[in-house]
Amino acid sequence: MKIDFKNFINGIWRENPIFYLMLGLCPLLAVSGSVRDSLGMGIAVIFVLTGSNLTISLIRKFVPSHVRIPVFIVVIATFVTIADYSLAALSPQIHRNLGVYLPLIVVNCIILGRAEAYASKNNVINSILDGLGVGIGFTIAIFIISVIRELLGNGTIMGYQIMGANYTPFLIMIMPPGAFLVIGFLIAIKQGIEKRGKKC
Amino acid sequence: MKKKELIGGVLILTIVTALSGYLLAQVYKITKPAIEKQKKIEEEKINREIFPEGEEFAEKEENGVKYFSVLNSEGEEIGKIFTTLSLGYGGYIKIKVGVNKNGEIKGIKILQHNETPGLGAKITEDKFLSQFKGKTVEELYLKKDKSEGKIDAITGATISSRAVTDGVRKLLEKINKKR
Repeated sequence: MKIDFKNFINGIWRENPIFYLMLGLCPLLAVSGSVRDSLGMGIAVIFVLTGSNLTISLIRKFVPSHVRIPVFIVVIATFVTIADYSLAALSPQIHRNLGVYLPLIVVNCIILGRAEAYASKNNVINSILDGLGVGIGFTIAIFIISVIRELLGNGTIMGYQIMGANYTPFLIMIMPPGAFLVIGFLIAIKQGIEKRGKKC
Repeated sequence: MKKKELIGGVLILTIVTALSGYLLAQVYKITKPAIEKQKKIEEEKINREIFPEGEEFAEKEENGVKYFSVLNSEGEEIGKIFTTLSLGYGGYIKIKVGVNKNGEIKGIKILQHNETPGLGAKITEDKFLSQFKGKTVEELYLKKDKSEGKIDAITGATISSRAVTDGVRKLLEKINKKR
């Protein structure tokens, strides 16, 4: 079994699901207004992605191609439901804030995308690495975006007041358009760094 | 598609679904007590914020309305806590209302809402909610709506403020009618 770390790194930086593949933007827009909720969402995505990649890679040889999509969806839905119950048991506050976006991870295109494009064609260890890499990439992206949005839009980080009491919140940052603005700037910065790297 | 392929596909899908169902049933069994415990803790925490002097909160039901009966350390009922819904700007607002023995508001808390961040969402702040303390049915109007009203609306969020005020008042009217 050949172990390939390239995918792990790729998921975090070059093919980051948010900044490069631009998948999974819907939950990102919805929950990245608060750092705490974003971390909850990120951890849930890492768990579901790694779990479903692992399972799908294990059963890939038994699943005929014409039923693979329903099988993948059932596997993903199982992991999402486990994450849903666990989060409700561990942190009801985050569970309530994530609301419908937690069950909606089922239809998050990152997860079905990785299952179809990677886990169904590669061995178990590489699939786990791929799931971890893409999941961590998603979490880093949502974390950066939520820090910027919560700080500018509410003057807080993780609920702690950072800006002075006289700070007037930059309201649009907390609303969905703010997420688009932040993503746009971050993608531009990432592209800039990559272009500069190539020239040298 | 060949018949054999079809049967194979159906079989695999059935097995996967059955396994997943079994697994979820187990996870549900394990997490259920913890989830219920968390819910109770949270419910109690909010009840205690509304009625800090309450010793015990007993769940009761009367005419199909569920409420918490608040008992003090001597076991006397000193008030009730109700939950009500009111239509705001972005959907329903879920409000917990504490009422003391005289039918005055003891305190209210917003459990759930979907109001605009930075504007309507300010209904969850103490600055707005503390106005409700000690108010009676007649006073539960926005100042700008009725001269008897004693509630100040949040700037730029009249609809949300009105929704909370009206929701609480309608609840009180309903309770008083039943007395």
